[in-house]
Amino acid sequence: MSFSADSSTRTATRSGWADRAFGFAGGAAAFLTAGLFGWIVWDLIRLGWPHLSWSFFTGEVEDAGRQGGVGPLLISSVLILVCCLVPAVPLGVGCALWLSECVRRGSLTARLVTGGVDLLASVPSIVFGLFGMVFFCQKLGMGFSILSGGLTLAGMILPILVRTTLTALESLPADLRPAAAALGLTRTTSIVRILLPAAMPGIVVGVTLGIGRALSETAALLFTSGYSVRWPESIHDSGRALSVHIYDLALNVANGGPMASSTALVLLALILIINAAAVMLSERWMRRRYHPEA
Amino acid sequence: MTSSKSTTLSRSLDRVFRGVLGLLAAVSGGMVLLIVSYLVTGAWPAIEAGRLAAFFTDERWQPGSARDPQFGVVSMLVGSLLVTLLAVGLATPVGVASAVFHRFYAPPVLERWNRRMLELLIGVPAVVFGFWGLMTVVPLIVRLAPETPGQSLLAGGIVLALMILPIVTLTTQAALQAVPRAQLLAAAGLGLGRARTIWAVALPAARGGIGAGVLLSLARAIGETMAVVLVCGNIPQIPDSLFDPIRPVTSTIALEMGYATASHKALLFCAGLVLVLFTAVFVGWHSFRRQMADTGTGGA
Amino acid sequence: MNSVNDSTETESIARLSVTSLTVRYGDLVAVRDVTLAFPDGRITALVGPSGCGKSSFLHSLNRLTDLIPGCRVTGGIRLFDGTDIAHPRADVLALRRRIGIVFQRPNPFPQSIRRNFEIPLREHGWHRRDIPDKMETVLRQVGLWKEVSDRLHKSAVALSGGQQQRLCLARALALDPEVILFDEPCSALDPIASGVVEDLIHSLRDRLTVAIVTHNLAQARRIADHVAVFWHRDGAGQLIESGPAGRVLAAPSDPDAMSYLGGMRG
Repeated sequence: MSFSADSSTRTATRSGWADRAFGFAGGAAAFLTAGLFGWIVWDLIRLGWPHLSWSFFTGEVEDAGRQGGVGPLLISSVLILVCCLVPAVPLGVGCALWLSECVRRGSLTARLVTGGVDLLASVPSIVFGLFGMVFFCQKLGMGFSILSGGLTLAGMILPILVRTTLTALESLPADLRPAAAALGLTRTTSIVRILLPAAMPGIVVGVTLGIGRALSETAALLFTSGYSVRWPESIHDSGRALSVHIYDLALNVANGGPMASSTALVLLALILIINAAAVMLSERWMRRRYHPEA
Repeated sequence: MTSSKSTTLSRSLDRVFRGVLGLLAAVSGGMVLLIVSYLVTGAWPAIEAGRLAAFFTDERWQPGSARDPQFGVVSMLVGSLLVTLLAVGLATPVGVASAVFHRFYAPPVLERWNRRMLELLIGVPAVVFGFWGLMTVVPLIVRLAPETPGQSLLAGGIVLALMILPIVTLTTQAALQAVPRAQLLAAAGLGLGRARTIWAVALPAARGGIGAGVLLSLARAIGETMAVVLVCGNIPQIPDSLFDPIRPVTSTIALEMGYATASHKALLFCAGLVLVLFTAVFVGWHSFRRQMADTGTGGA
Repeated sequence: MNSVNDSTETESIARLSVTSLTVRYGDLVAVRDVTLAFPDGRITALVGPSGCGKSSFLHSLNRLTDLIPGCRVTGGIRLFDGTDIAHPRADVLALRRRIGIVFQRPNPFPQSIRRNFEIPLREHGWHRRDIPDKMETVLRQVGLWKEVSDRLHKSAVALSGGQQQRLCLARALALDPEVILFDEPCSALDPIASGVVEDLIHSLRDRLTVAIVTHNLAQARRIADHVAVFWHRDGAGQLIESGPAGRVLAAPSDPDAMSYLGGMRG
């Protein structure tokens, strides 16, 4: 806790009009931020809540989305998520392990890979969509499918996974590595049995954040996983994600607003829960690091 | 002595394992190259046919027109830039002010809860922002300026600003947090008031971090699709006022890729390529600077 | 105490011998041209002021210096049976099993106490069913068995500092090493825990060859059979005096060693 630092800055001399002006402007900005986001959430609840029922979660999409529910879309979203995580987690964790355990920091190869991952993080999601369409759908012949969409998203969440895993590995106690080496453990054993379990909380946080990102993504899925609202039978079927449904209802369906609100409310609730879990996990993990008895 | 299984075996296993990790790293680091190469492949027909010049010289964007196809992308680039700058211009003062408030004025509890809230809000889907903008911001603008359609540059700017506000605030807060305590104590020791401490000591010291945050949100905003496609009105033109509709590059790709064929499609890939170059310059520079700082070979 | 020291005046064979060892970090020479033998079944203390290369020297003995980028070790290190430790193609993993080390700060793996033994033992080919016995034996050896036998599944990091250090010693002993190195094993512990660990190290005498880096000259006098004094001289750590503890501690011939060791006689 940097409590003393806080109190020393917070109790600085409080006089003068400039101080009051600063405080007022800052307070207004903070209030504005909280207020605007409260407004968004309130609007979605106000518009979306009345249509929520059990059948909304299980029912099929009817009348282009004006009626019915989002059952198949929930299934499609989950399947897309699975197709995304299955390749992304090993890639991201493996890449971070390589960067932290197999090469020297600042070496040319390490810089190239880090730079590549940073650039990947900068690629706009719509461009991921273009890439997914030509590479997965056309070149690899997967067509508009849940699989194509999931693989495209895998590329998008990869940088998040690499970053969080790398941070977790770098914040491990430095003497774990000599301890493992001194017992004559191979690098493999040291990584798999000691470093990876110790870094697991950080990896879990990263995966959670990645799930949130993947669920919220729309643009990358427009031309990869498609628009079909049928119950998906396999990952080779086209399937519409919740986020794509909101976009479609808002842009292409007259009077789609109310159902779009309900879908947006569901999606927002899901993502807020997932992100809150990530924030809580990482805070708890930080606490445990500094007070291991707790 | 119960000792060693063949250590040559475990050693070669070690080599295999490191090879696998290296491969995973190569795929992760090289994916961006794969993406760019497929963008170039997709865009190649247009580049080969020399359409790239038309990209910047044609006045209008009507690629589907049989009689007079025009491929001018300038209006959309201008649209993208304007809506991004507007968003950053709106979000930066609010974000910085709010970060200063939480760092120097609010009690620590409030700061902690505010940070948690912002960390949650970073995850709110862009499409939700866009949809909310369509339902709430656009009608408000119509009420403000009854002669306009409401879907406009202004609407896009406001929605995008909301989206990047948490990023700006959090990065500023982190930058202020990182100002050495000794500097603040020195300011207090010289009898500086709180306002002067913030203005003359804390903000200058945090300038680099704040700049990096603004840069990141700039890159995020220019590549954003869903928040703008629903509220900007999607008419490819250079706007005369805040209330005119515009159509950013990203929206064009989202709207037209579904039905585009042949050269039209290639041009959309060109547009995607331009976007990547834009964001890559921002983020690449940021990444380069951070790595320089990491290895201690860079300047201040 | 003196009788122990005196009895070692008769030389025993060297379990580990070092010839002309030099350790470099890039351009910096940490240790220059050290030749030293570690008598079998005896405790050798490496003493000297901070920054004189004792720890670098110790770490080079089981090739932990390999982990440090830019670190180069030249010279000879041989085990009793002729194994060339410094050879670039030496089987580092196997030799680290034969030469164990306990560090300054206790460093158990952040997992259960049991896993702290299972991981290294499995790595070196012990059968799963032999592990519980082995673990009990070494935990009894370090006097930790009674304290932890009912919570072997609990995290090793939750133990006290002294317990953690004894666990690390037990973990090193579990691999049946011939030589065990201690890098200031007591300096991070409180006086009581420090005394317990010191007694344990002393109890290893005759069964194992021990090398211990220590800043505590009283400790060296209490437990060591042999003493090697390191000094920072001409821009590098060097060995300035070595021999039986009784003689070196009482009457060092090197003037620097005399002034340094003089502190303990006052």
